Amino acid sequence: MTSLDRPPRAAAWLIQLFALPDRTDSILGDLAEEFDGLAARSGVKSAQGWYWRQTLKTLPHAAASALRASPWLTLAAVIGGFFLRRLTGPLPELAIFAFAGKYRLYDHHFIMYQFLASTGIDVAQIGIFLLVGCAVALVAKGTEMPATLLLAAIHGAMVIVAFVVIESAGMDPLLWRQGWYLADILAIVLGGAIVRMRRQTRTRQPLNA
Amino acid sequence: MKDRDYLGEFEHIVVLALIRLEDRAYGVTVRQEIERRIRREVSIGAVYATLDRLELKGYVKSHRGDPTPERGGRSKRFFRVTGKGVAAVNRTHSALRSMTEGLDLGWSRG
Repeated sequence: MTSLDRPPRAAAWLIQLFALPDRTDSILGDLAEEFDGLAARSGVKSAQGWYWRQTLKTLPHAAASALRASPWLTLAAVIGGFFLRRLTGPLPELAIFAFAGKYRLYDHHFIMYQFLASTGIDVAQIGIFLLVGCAVALVAKGTEMPATLLLAAIHGAMVIVAFVVIESAGMDPLLWRQGWYLADILAIVLGGAIVRMRRQTRTRQPLNA
Repeated sequence: MKDRDYLGEFEHIVVLALIRLEDRAYGVTVRQEIERRIRREVSIGAVYATLDRLELKGYVKSHRGDPTPERGGRSKRFFRVTGKGVAAVNRTHSALRSMTEGLDLGWSRG
């Protein structure tokens, strides 16, 4: 069997991210078994399409099952993550300006100062969001992805509300900044995925479905 | 969990599939049995989510089989209906029968 004849790895990876750890094996095994039968009957392309359809329909159920298994822990992780982000949000700016002040970048390396004071702060913010995502996922064991997706959705909603308020007040909504906000939100989810995958590599056999 | 609960629509279908499949009931066979009979694509995630819920209520029990090479070394999870599950099916059927008694729903006209 070549890699092209196998179930789509990205789809199997998504199931590993969302399903409860003790259900992942059964779900992936079932999908692999049906994939082989379907590929032999209708061809690999059709089987891969079926596998993707099954995956996309399975993800909401898998996330809901995981949430049902530990709703309070997930909620606590999301609320904690929200306040952790509020607490750590100003840190990159403070650290960068402290660094710039200590080495007098404004006077001696103005271009570097300019970079750090704009792009540097934005990049550091992405790092903060990534760490917050990891922290939320560390607490929400088993529901890493639903928890980080929920926190990302809350931040996304806050960005949209802020955008609407600024726009309706007739001020410049700084459209160019939306890319950074999107990156912040994706960083939370990435943090969840990193922690989930780290946990899985410690507890399961390699993905060979 | 109340002992007088009725089964939901999909729960009902899944329990009936388990009863039909007897000791061959695991994800693939349950999903295929339902698809074959109701002629609608069913996701494996929906089947497992329902089975998890039924297990939580004590209506089904599960155990792991041995890992097999054709499943990429992954094991099957077999399910069977408990006595409490059979009682829930009977209760649900009885309620449906009572509610439909004397109604002309056009079943005889197909």
